[in-house]
Amino acid sequence: MKITNIFSNFRKGLLKSRENFKGKIESLIKKSKDKEMFLDQLEETLILSDIGISATAKIIDYFEKINFKEYSKNDFAYFKEQLKKMLIEILNHSSSKIAIEKSRLNIIMIVGVNGSGKTSAAGKMAYKYKNENNNLLLVPADTFRAAAIKQLNVFANRAGVEMMKSTERADPASVVYDGIHAARARNKNLLIIDTAGRLHNKINLMNELKKIKKVIQNEAGENYSLEILQTIDATMGQNGISQAKSFNETLGVNGIILTKMDGTAKGGIVIAIKKELNIPVKLISFGEQLNNLHHFENDKFVNALLD
Amino acid sequence: MFTDLSDKFKAIFKRIKNKGKLNESDIKKCLYEIRIALLEADVNYKVVKEFVNELQTQMANEKISESLSPSQQIIKMVHQEITRALGAKKSEITMSPKPPTIIMMVGLQGTGKTTTAVKLANYLNNKGHRSMLVATDIHRPAAIEQLKIFAEKSKLPVFSMGTREKAVNIVKAAIKYISNKDFDILIVDTAGRLHIDEKLMEELEEINREILPQEKLLLIDAMAGQDAVNSARVFCEKLDVNGIILSKIDGDARGGAALSLRKVLDVPVKFVGTGEKVENIDIFYPERMASRILGMGDVLTLIEKVESAYDAKEISRMNEKIKTNDFDLNDFYLQIKKMENIGSVEQIIGMIPGASRLNLNKMQYDDRELKKIEAIIGSMTIEERSNPNIINGSRRKRIAKGSGSQTSSVNRLLNQFSQIKNMMKKRKFTKNFPFQ
Repeated sequence: MKITNIFSNFRKGLLKSRENFKGKIESLIKKSKDKEMFLDQLEETLILSDIGISATAKIIDYFEKINFKEYSKNDFAYFKEQLKKMLIEILNHSSSKIAIEKSRLNIIMIVGVNGSGKTSAAGKMAYKYKNENNNLLLVPADTFRAAAIKQLNVFANRAGVEMMKSTERADPASVVYDGIHAARARNKNLLIIDTAGRLHNKINLMNELKKIKKVIQNEAGENYSLEILQTIDATMGQNGISQAKSFNETLGVNGIILTKMDGTAKGGIVIAIKKELNIPVKLISFGEQLNNLHHFENDKFVNALLD
Repeated sequence: MFTDLSDKFKAIFKRIKNKGKLNESDIKKCLYEIRIALLEADVNYKVVKEFVNELQTQMANEKISESLSPSQQIIKMVHQEITRALGAKKSEITMSPKPPTIIMMVGLQGTGKTTTAVKLANYLNNKGHRSMLVATDIHRPAAIEQLKIFAEKSKLPVFSMGTREKAVNIVKAAIKYISNKDFDILIVDTAGRLHIDEKLMEELEEINREILPQEKLLLIDAMAGQDAVNSARVFCEKLDVNGIILSKIDGDARGGAALSLRKVLDVPVKFVGTGEKVENIDIFYPERMASRILGMGDVLTLIEKVESAYDAKEISRMNEKIKTNDFDLNDFYLQIKKMENIGSVEQIIGMIPGASRLNLNKMQYDDRELKKIEAIIGSMTIEERSNPNIINGSRRKRIAKGSGSQTSSVNRLLNQFSQIKNMMKKRKFTKNFPFQ
């Protein structure tokens, strides 16, 4: 797929939220009669994007210190740049790329709360990495939700990748065990594990994930990498922080997959998650097509929100 | 659920309690904290603004600032305001005077439509209805299978025609199919969709126009953020939604969306989803939810659940057994089964007033312990259960093997049970079991 196509898809997906945010910021800066009104409206815009109180407070603090009298009403571009810079700075992270190497077994485990889009993301990832010439195996470790295995199988067929056999009610850790050994036997370099959705405050279910991770660490052998990715639904509110915190404390989360970015929700919660927990967003997913999964780029995300 | 918001309020009121009286700066602090707490709870920005303004007017009222116990009054006032915003009365499903009643479940992807459709059918059947589920999610891979498998577990029938037929035609065929059968409710599960996806929204509008369902229920995730109001508004406008189901409230989300939706859209929340099991659905009670938000516990729900699990006859039978020291492992087994019907240990604790204050909600419970006990007793013969004294070494080994546990676990259970029996003997229960 061409870079330009990726970018236009990305923009299309973000169109709705961008229109909203851009319109608001622009109009509030142009129309604001005084500083207080400006700050009020800025706060409203930021809160409504779900970026959270703490990040909002940081931004408001910054603008509070600015002496607006020194600027003209037309300095929109300048403030927009400042705001962008601030958001990008929050999102910046040293390792926001997923490194897949051909010479080792790369294991990606997808976790998240119910309905956050794990299975779709797993299918899209399989498609993406297959097209990047990886030899991969999908592992359906969601043995709890009815027909979840079948759903992943449909994605596997569409993407043209191999999927492990598994049965409902099977122990997910043993499915993963089999998956790792199958991957080694079949000389795969990438294993993508779809897990069952679980609310982050259910201790038994979180312990089940711990067990899966242990199996991976025990069985993966010498030359492997493990990337644990958590799906966060763009419509999530502040509970997203609690979700990321619990999964991170249980497993150590390497990155976020921001899903459902084609609605009107802005996904601002990832800024709060990055700010509070320093977990970077690595992938962005939207729409129902297999090719709607992309590497997350801070500046594009923020630009798409503000430009 | 909603514990954080309750804790926030508690922290605020603790401070006020210590001071005894409210001055203007107290009011300001209090309102500020309420505002932050509500925003962190994902209550919509505009709703928070309005809500805080209403509170300010009332707090500035002389009656309160001159009161000797402002804390109690503020708790009461905030409670009233939240209750009012949530809707003053509980609201149930409207049945069509001429069956079948058609209920359509709609919502964004991943909000829990399929799971909730089955829970609702099960809930209504327990009330004496006969429901059939209709599978119209022809878009998501394996969605129809998901509905069928989950429904099958509760022996609920599903009408489906695969993924080639239009959704509206599937519903029409379902209506025709049950016309000479004994069903009075059709619950239509639809595909998840974005409110801005006009093509898919038209699919729902078509069903709404041609079938005229009595109930159009919108699923909202309790963890939803500020945008919940926007997506819900479109669903409500296009489909004339007349009820909301708040799903996944067994998470720790503060569920502010419930407050926003009721206030902005004037559509009542009718049910809440409280877990992954088929019985995990509850009617939405605004006053209880408001109590919960304020950390006052949810005793009413707990009592109701215990009452539905134990009927009066059984309670008196159990009391008789305890008095005459006839309480055996058969009865113990039944009690464990009943406990499971009430809910998980975590769910039960969530309903106890002050649980969050005592940090009970932060403790870890493993419902599997209960399952283990159940398995051990399940591996005993009826005779062994009524007379545990006959369980010798070889029987213990057999029971351990049969239940997949260790002999030591069997020993522990038998010891515990004999301790319980001793306690029962000593204490001479006068009050009703299990409410001693």
